[in-house]
Amino acid sequence: MLSPLRRVVGIVGIAVVATLGITACSAGSSDSSSSGGKSVVVDSSFDLKTADPNREYETTGSIVAKALYETLLTFKGDDVTKPIDGLASYEMNADNTVMTLTMADGHVFSDGTPVTVDDAVFSLQRVQGIKGNPSFLLGGITVAKTSDTTLTLTSATPNPALPYILPNPALSVVNKKVVEANGGTATDADGAEAYLNGASAGSGPYMLESFDVASQVVFTKNPKYTGDAPAYDRVVLRNVQGPTQKLNIQAGESQVALDLNPDQVAEVGSSDVTVLSSPSRYMIFLLLNQDPSVSAITSNPDFLKAVKAGIDYNKIVDLAGDGSVQPGGFIPSLFVGAIDASDGNQHDAAAAKAALAKSGYKGEDVTLNFPNDITVQGLSLQSVAESVQAQLKEVGINIVLAPAPVATELDAYRGGKETVGLWYWGPDFPDPSNYLAFTPGELVGLRAGWAAGADSTVTDLATAAKAAVSTDERQSAYAALQKAQNASGPFVPLLQPAQNVVTSKSITAVSLNPVWTIDLAGIK
Amino acid sequence: MSQTTAPAQPDVLAVAARRRMRFPAALRNPLAVTGTAIIVIWLLLALFAPMISPADPLAQDFDRLQPPSAAHLFGTDQLGRDVLSRVLDGARVSIILPLLLVVSSLFVGTIAGSIAGYFGKVADEVIMRIADLVFAFPTIILAMVIAASLGPSLTNAVIAMLIVSWPAYARVTRSLVVVASRSEYVVAGRLLGNSPFTSLGKDILPNIIAPVVVLATLDVGTAILLLAGLSFLGLGAVPPTPDWGAMVSDGVQNFSSWWISVFPGLAILTVVLAFNFLGDALRDGLDPRTADAVKGRAL
Repeated sequence: MLSPLRRVVGIVGIAVVATLGITACSAGSSDSSSSGGKSVVVDSSFDLKTADPNREYETTGSIVAKALYETLLTFKGDDVTKPIDGLASYEMNADNTVMTLTMADGHVFSDGTPVTVDDAVFSLQRVQGIKGNPSFLLGGITVAKTSDTTLTLTSATPNPALPYILPNPALSVVNKKVVEANGGTATDADGAEAYLNGASAGSGPYMLESFDVASQVVFTKNPKYTGDAPAYDRVVLRNVQGPTQKLNIQAGESQVALDLNPDQVAEVGSSDVTVLSSPSRYMIFLLLNQDPSVSAITSNPDFLKAVKAGIDYNKIVDLAGDGSVQPGGFIPSLFVGAIDASDGNQHDAAAAKAALAKSGYKGEDVTLNFPNDITVQGLSLQSVAESVQAQLKEVGINIVLAPAPVATELDAYRGGKETVGLWYWGPDFPDPSNYLAFTPGELVGLRAGWAAGADSTVTDLATAAKAAVSTDERQSAYAALQKAQNASGPFVPLLQPAQNVVTSKSITAVSLNPVWTIDLAGIK
Repeated sequence: MSQTTAPAQPDVLAVAARRRMRFPAALRNPLAVTGTAIIVIWLLLALFAPMISPADPLAQDFDRLQPPSAAHLFGTDQLGRDVLSRVLDGARVSIILPLLLVVSSLFVGTIAGSIAGYFGKVADEVIMRIADLVFAFPTIILAMVIAASLGPSLTNAVIAMLIVSWPAYARVTRSLVVVASRSEYVVAGRLLGNSPFTSLGKDILPNIIAPVVVLATLDVGTAILLLAGLSFLGLGAVPPTPDWGAMVSDGVQNFSSWWISVFPGLAILTVVLAFNFLGDALRDGLDPRTADAVKGRAL
């Protein structure tokens, strides 16, 4: 009777020993590779879909594409207010309709062939042709080769944002010959994605060693890279959730963690790690529907004033932790045109109560809709909603929370059916023109029931901002637009949550950027 | 048949003593007493929550994420609310609603089952096939689908739970009614001119209700867990209403602030365990089919 039992115990014992052995081996190997000082492990919470740069439009996808490829223009460090030369230098014509790019000499792909204007034209046309997620970045733009070293991007309407769009890693330049040989075309018949998920065809600091969309991406140094050589020969980018990232960085299993929320950062403590907190590119805002058929209460201008003055912005910033800020207007603090929080809405309970009395509001319930299953930089929108509810209650506004999964709530938001909504906006490119969506009759404006012509002051300022050419002109035009929106518009910018990057003490520098989050080659 | 007529002849004094105590035999075991005590304590806490809570469960007045201390025995949550007050107030949602739910599914299920069992034929087929349809889905998944499509709110969560939980009662009731309705006293009653409903209500129901009540008691624990599960997934209580399931979910967001989720978790554990103790004891005591077996074993 005992022998089967004994056998089971034996098998279990062997399995346990084997497992321990394997774990010990794998731990040992990662230790040895990192102790050589040439390998670095980066933990990130993946939203990865592809390693094809012209198809990706995800946060993780941008990190991957940035490491493998180069773009025609780029940004230096985290300064997204000024595009600089990448594979090319640029010149805009006077009315911002034609951009001429001149290819820089000396850049080569990882197979040794030089980067030419043909590669650049093919890559940009491929982004347009495959009709993927990033294709809209080049919507309405004609890409043409004009000489052996130049190409032009022509748009029908003035497009001052174009230099800010081109640094997006989705507009990376791929090796035309290699991609075409593997089924690549500049049409939606393109078949090179599978190849590009297994190997890279770019001129970036790293080459693709292995790619697993769900678990990890491994990069090795590109020996032909013409820029400053990266400090690490090998980078492992792993898919790890926030709480585990915290444990890994504390245990020394990883050297960089990208997705810790402010509370986790506070728990890690600064003794064994370095914490970099900065405002992220996301802007969390409240919208109050201006369509009287949706709500007679929220479309009342005095009620709107009461809400804007009733919210205690500092409390919300506290909730979001170190590094987060209140944006002055709907443009985040990182971009051209941003205004300071002191020029934005201010908490003033007395003013809120006075405005509320004037509005004729009698304590009716007002529904606040928000998605309860998404977090922005580790901060759940539900916490923000509960905080707003408690603050508005103090000035006498009764908010009823109506959480829903984002998949169901998105329809109501996009259809402009929400009375009060709590959402966030991540910019498609770091240019203030992206935020013209928050004006009457535009994409987000309509979601707040703000029809074209509903507010001629704001519309006029938006038109002026769109037409502004020089950086200074744009700065002041967008500032005026936001101040007008703060005064009469339906959007209440609440918060820019922090972007926290935690590194082990062995890392001396990381290069962060709102467009591609982190430049792996900049880890030192 | 011999078993039902077999109870040993107790001596007169013992019978008298038992009459004086009036304490149901089923509850005279340590687990049942423990379970009952815990349930009574929780019900009292739920009833008097507003009076004994140290703070307003909705007030965001305190520092965020404070660990348990003398000022906040259970700590504070991510918005600076007192967790103890929220656990106490949460009892009103997390215990009372499942109790109401079990009573209503008992009601619906018993009626449906009685009709199916007594009338048979078409009524039986239709009702039991609907019940089978519900049984064919995993309970929690079906409840999630219904709650999600109705939109998150406590009312909708209870409706969703009612839809998934009545068939169990219907099935048990039906099988009992089928057997009981063939009994001679029921047939005799019918021959005397009782209507079907009189027959069901007067002759059958008193004879079948014990096992159904046992099932219901055992089900309270499951119902508490189901509601907590729906709230955990964001399909039950709407914030900021305190609810144990939703509080556990808050704690998951702040994993190392263990006190946010541990205390509501312990609350769920104790209540569910208590109802299961009580349900087991009631089953042992009231259900004639297990009563003898248990007595035999226990003695």
